[in-house]
Amino acid sequence: MIRFEKVSKRFGNAVILDDIDYEIQDGETFVIVGASGAGKSVSLKHMVRLLTPDSGRVIVGDDCINEARGNKLDEIRNRFGYLFQGAALMQWLNVGDNVGLPLRMKTKLSDEEIDQRVLEKLEMVNLGDAFAKHPSELSGGMRKRVGLARAIVTDPEIILYDEPTSGLDPVTSRTIDRLIDRLRVELGVTSVVVTHDLHSALAIGTRIAMLYEGKIVELSTPEKFVKSENEVVRSFLEAQYITTRGDWEKGM
Amino acid sequence: MIQTIGRNVLLVFRNTGIAMFMLLEAFRDIPFMFTKRHRHDVLHQQFLTGIKSLGVITVVALFTGMILALQTGLELRRYGQEVYIGSAVSVVMLREMGPFMTGLIIAASVGSAIAAQIGTMTVSEEIAALDVMSIRPVRYLVTPRLVAMITMMPLVTFYTNVIGIIGGGIVGQTQLGVSFTAYIDNATQYAENKDLYVGLFKSILFGIIIATVACHQGFFASQGAVGVGRATRRTVVISFLTILTVGYMITRLFYQ
Repeated sequence: MIRFEKVSKRFGNAVILDDIDYEIQDGETFVIVGASGAGKSVSLKHMVRLLTPDSGRVIVGDDCINEARGNKLDEIRNRFGYLFQGAALMQWLNVGDNVGLPLRMKTKLSDEEIDQRVLEKLEMVNLGDAFAKHPSELSGGMRKRVGLARAIVTDPEIILYDEPTSGLDPVTSRTIDRLIDRLRVELGVTSVVVTHDLHSALAIGTRIAMLYEGKIVELSTPEKFVKSENEVVRSFLEAQYITTRGDWEKGM
Repeated sequence: MIQTIGRNVLLVFRNTGIAMFMLLEAFRDIPFMFTKRHRHDVLHQQFLTGIKSLGVITVVALFTGMILALQTGLELRRYGQEVYIGSAVSVVMLREMGPFMTGLIIAASVGSAIAAQIGTMTVSEEIAALDVMSIRPVRYLVTPRLVAMITMMPLVTFYTNVIGIIGGGIVGQTQLGVSFTAYIDNATQYAENKDLYVGLFKSILFGIIIATVACHQGFFASQGAVGVGRATRRTVVISFLTILTVGYMITRLFYQ
């Protein structure tokens, strides 16, 4: 469970998060949508303490992550996997070493065990044959999938996805969506997805939160989200040609 | 005006403080560098710092020695004392020019490369990714580079000294009529062990300075490619200035 308690964050004079409260339940896929600069990625970064709030608390399980230090912080962060927007792969390491990096640095597993685990995760993201390739040899979609394999290699309880489908073609985007959904169904992980792709949000989300001017203006299930009467939500839906108010159905 | 100066002075103190904390953390993590997980990283950095720099070091050291020999030799010849170029070149190389030239070359080549690499990692969220994976960026990135600098700088400086002295000998033999044997005899007669040790000690300090400045600048790079370029330039400028200042202070300390 992740809980934001009256979290506020400013950058200079710009208010990014304004007294935000919400709670993410175990096992759900919680999607945060909003326009560029609405504070979606900032919210995500607060969950792993890449950013700390100016006021308020971010609770992960029973721990307040913005007050955690040293080993306690590591312990909380070890519960997370994080897919960065640009995948954030180490450019000088090959795919196998990138995916195996957290295992190599933090566990006492043998090289054989690590390679086996890495291969297993790469096969989950349909990249079993990319083990020896370097990030520069991969397409954007492949890099995202390698990033995803690295995020899940430690079998985390919670996976954070920062714009997992941005810059990808529709077919690859849906492949990533299916992977995210599969992880929730098969492994029971809690997922938090930041996106402005509403098609993706509606397909994979169990709940969707819309951020606008530092506030959450809508927080509901996909079914209720498409029927929202909120002006900001409606314009966001219509901008992506999602105009159905009553007959929208969830499907992958 | 005064406010701007004050703000900049505070910024310098703040950055120095952050860099010192990073350096302390890197020193504290040195024992981890002997583990299997990190040994390869250290060896790789030693290769980049030492072996890959030998080409440019050889050329610079050779010509530094040759210029020193020529300049001092021409003056000494007026008094018929050109045989003393051996001692002049060896003492200057061992005490000052060896560590100084090595420091400048390593700062410009290896230091700038470190800043560019870590800066690129910072702006592309790779450092953030390490944080989230609970992999300490200082242990993973700074300590191997620091260890490589501490171990390779004295070796490379020693090599610079040798090549510089040989360069001086070549000029003595070919242009000043001083035989190579007489040149080496004179060089070893006047240079002391202390000159060598102080020079090597300086080179270790220069290595620490370069690694610290480069990593610190890399970690605080921002605003994409422009920020990486700025971090690289600052690394070279700050390293040069600090090497000059520290070099003078060490000389002052050991040769009063």
